[in-house]
Amino acid sequence: MSLDVSVLVGAEQVLDIAGDVWSSLAGPEEVLVPLPASPAHLPLDALSAWVLVLGPWSGAVVVTTGASTALELTRALLRAADDEELTAEDVTDALGEVANVVGGNVKSLLTAPSVLGLPQVGHGMEAPTGEVVVQLDLSWRGQPLCLSLRSTAPTGVRGPRTPPTDPEGQP
Amino acid sequence: MHALVIDDSRAMRRIVGGILKDLGYTVTDAAHGREALDVLEATTAEGGALPDLACIDWNMPVMDGLQLVGAIRANPAWRAVTMMMVTTESEHGQIVRALAAGAHEYMIKPFTPDAFADKLSLLGLLPQAEPA
Repeated sequence: MSLDVSVLVGAEQVLDIAGDVWSSLAGPEEVLVPLPASPAHLPLDALSAWVLVLGPWSGAVVVTTGASTALELTRALLRAADDEELTAEDVTDALGEVANVVGGNVKSLLTAPSVLGLPQVGHGMEAPTGEVVVQLDLSWRGQPLCLSLRSTAPTGVRGPRTPPTDPEGQP
Repeated sequence: MHALVIDDSRAMRRIVGGILKDLGYTVTDAAHGREALDVLEATTAEGGALPDLACIDWNMPVMDGLQLVGAIRANPAWRAVTMMMVTTESEHGQIVRALAAGAHEYMIKPFTPDAFADKLSLLGLLPQAEPA
């Protein structure tokens, strides 16, 4: 059985989820601002964090932002003082957790049971590619950030293709 | 009162731990279920005080939260530990699984500190304020 995720999950729902996640993890005063008119211009050192969703729909929930933004987000999540030294591991952990919580809430919108993978973090190009179901170009504290849902299998695929047969059963 | 926070994310351990400390708890943490069992086993062996509350993430490497809940419930010496799942798993079936395994309460991420405190209040695990 396959699942057409685009029917179940739209940009507004993902934005609502992201807003709740940001205010919960980064702080109640933190907001994400959609950039409707222009894409998020991500820097070359962009980092991505993603979780895989495996089930009737298989895909990835991906969070991508610049390295300095990721560090700032980490500082906010850890409630770290400005002079507290943070490591690459801290950033990986924090960004991964953001993807984990967003991904988990996206998964809850799916009508069929699915499994959520553990978060992974890498450079922007390492994130899973696939058909983009939802893409949100956002701004956080004036810095660009992108949230996307990507199918890692074609949407609406119902199973292996079989060649058409004529009424007498001949291929 | 003392809490054990089990989550593979250091950020979440700090967030949950921070909320608990603000409520008056002392906090120990662990990065996965196996580590949490090591803490409980060591505490039991030393005759120390077990945590009043265990806040348990679901999806973790090595040993996940559901397995940990089952392991804690299976040990009679740990029956007094109240277990609350703190997780993104929000489907009804998952909640039923966790409660059937022995979890006492369930907190879905993301959450506010007030919502977290409300859950503890339901469990009777909100530390009493110090008298003035």
